[in-house]
Amino acid sequence: MLKCTINGKQYAVPEGASIIEAFKLAGESLAHYCWHPALSVAGVCRMCMVSIEGNPRLQIACNTMVTEGMVISNQSHAVKDSVKWVLDFHLINHPLDCPICDQAGECGLQDQYMMFGKYTPEMAMPKQRKRKVVSLGDRVVLDSERCILCSRCVRFTEEITKTHELGIFHRGDRSEIGTFNDRPLNNNYSLNTVDICPVGALTSKKFRFRQRVWFLKEKKSICPGCCTGCNIKVSYNSKGVFRVKPDCNPDVNGYWMCDEGRDLCEKTQSVDRLLKGMSKYGEEKWQEGPALKFAKQACDDLSALPSSSVALVLTAQHTCEEFEALIQSFKSKFKSKKVYYWVNRPEDFHKFDGLLLRGDRNPNTVGLLQILEREGFKSTWSELLSDLSSGATQGVIVAAPEFPSFYPDFSEKLYELSRAKVLTCLTSRPIKDRELLPGQRWLIPLKSFLEKEGTFINYRGVQQKLGTPLELVPDAMTLSDFARILSGDWLERQVEPLGSQNVINEFMKTPMRGL
Amino acid sequence: MFRLSKKGLEFVQSEMKRYETKRSAIIPALYCAQNENDGWISQDVIAHLSEVMELPASQIHEVFEFYTMFNKRPVGKNHVQVCCNISCAMNGGRELADHILKEFSVNENEVTSDGKLSVSRVECLGSCGTAPMMQVNDDYYENLTPERAVEILKDL
Repeated sequence: MLKCTINGKQYAVPEGASIIEAFKLAGESLAHYCWHPALSVAGVCRMCMVSIEGNPRLQIACNTMVTEGMVISNQSHAVKDSVKWVLDFHLINHPLDCPICDQAGECGLQDQYMMFGKYTPEMAMPKQRKRKVVSLGDRVVLDSERCILCSRCVRFTEEITKTHELGIFHRGDRSEIGTFNDRPLNNNYSLNTVDICPVGALTSKKFRFRQRVWFLKEKKSICPGCCTGCNIKVSYNSKGVFRVKPDCNPDVNGYWMCDEGRDLCEKTQSVDRLLKGMSKYGEEKWQEGPALKFAKQACDDLSALPSSSVALVLTAQHTCEEFEALIQSFKSKFKSKKVYYWVNRPEDFHKFDGLLLRGDRNPNTVGLLQILEREGFKSTWSELLSDLSSGATQGVIVAAPEFPSFYPDFSEKLYELSRAKVLTCLTSRPIKDRELLPGQRWLIPLKSFLEKEGTFINYRGVQQKLGTPLELVPDAMTLSDFARILSGDWLERQVEPLGSQNVINEFMKTPMRGL
Repeated sequence: MFRLSKKGLEFVQSEMKRYETKRSAIIPALYCAQNENDGWISQDVIAHLSEVMELPASQIHEVFEFYTMFNKRPVGKNHVQVCCNISCAMNGGRELADHILKEFSVNENEVTSDGKLSVSRVECLGSCGTAPMMQVNDDYYENLTPERAVEILKDL
């Protein structure tokens, strides 16, 4: 450890730390644009100037290492004056139209120029005009005029994804970032460039101009898109969920997450959801009704069957707590050992894209397998199918995957399962009629990962909590809620239907617009 | 589609071995390709170089866009570069460029209708002691007057 003094206070920092890292550790603020903890040092923005005692000239903190006994300050007049002028150079060609910029409210440049009061540029020359709304692929939009050429995005595609799409072209004040021949930036991590852009140059096609950031609240959660379990921050307000950003967790995902994972947050909107309970007898039409009432009736239907003829089918897209509750309640109710599970695409299961995304598209495979092993359930899928054919199994409870798109065999499997006399499908998505054979059918709406508490265990065995739940589909329930209904000790206590105090928000009724 | 000649390919490959990193060979490779592509570099050329050198096209494009020696559009048989940097400008470099453009009735960075001549203004060519000057293809012509320059170009 090295001793150093930062703004008059003593700190000890690890050897090899740069001054900017020492400032971070000390919790002192230091303006910077080009430096990012996960990227190489570029030293181009010149904002992190500090004065070092004994050194006649100011130094940039990102590219200067701390030495023993170093006395560093960024509060001196010289530093402030330098930063002010550097800022002025950044603002020479940067439009000062913050009120109409999508980055406003979370912009590094805006923060600093407000702090230094540089409302009017001191440059008499007209600003360079550059390309405005440039589409960089399916997800990202570039505004070259707002770019301050910090090169974070360029270094991201060079060092993290190693796809090398972005570069800085032309020179001098005509420099701008772009892709060769305007090729699309269509790698699966493209939205991370939007996250690390300190200004409004790179924005997300889906999020831009949809909501002001100061009207958004943030909730931490875990991405349900694969068994990596990236930590995420979900931005939402009363009008719905607007975007997902990665939350730094060095043990799991570092600073990044994939675009596919972000897309999943959209699929929690009500257009893609089963909103009410549904039921159907034989060839009749589907009836819609309150989930709670239908769940109770479904449980009664199942209880009417011989108790050893009921089976439970699980998928690994629910929380440990839910599996636990449902299995316990199933065991005590039916005295049956018929618990089965199925996972997505076994052929892709061990794929890995080298960065984060894994072929096992279930957030909680480890959690499910642990519980099944502890309980000693070893039944195989072929046993289930033969029991269904022979009539030894007449009732099936299915905890369907939250994202059936990851289960290409979902409709096929559901069709097989619907050979049962009574099928209760707990699902967050609507089920098409043709996926089911006629019989006694119940569909109970499930909550999405944003709406429930619980634990996912990722592929490495890291247990992660989902955080405080939101309310998106008021009628939906968790597997644990269903387990309590199955045990019959819950409905009596809860007089009010689930979530009656919550308003269905108007945003949910419209699908997300593109650019 | 542009393809380097066998000789060109050999040259690029030897340049790539010459430096510590392959990126250092981008400038010689671009020069070589420009010579083989009638004096200018198209997106095709960059795509081909990116394949040959196994470097991302964006990195080659960065270098290409940075330097004025690489022509972004077709040039004439004789490509004239008139220096308009400080010494030449003080000695009439800008007027020289204007005069040539007017005399051959061609716009800057464009090619005459017979395809023989193209003119561009450039920054310092390192011949400040003999200003004003111009470069025609690889040759320097120094201590020029507008009339002398036109004479030289007509004689080419």
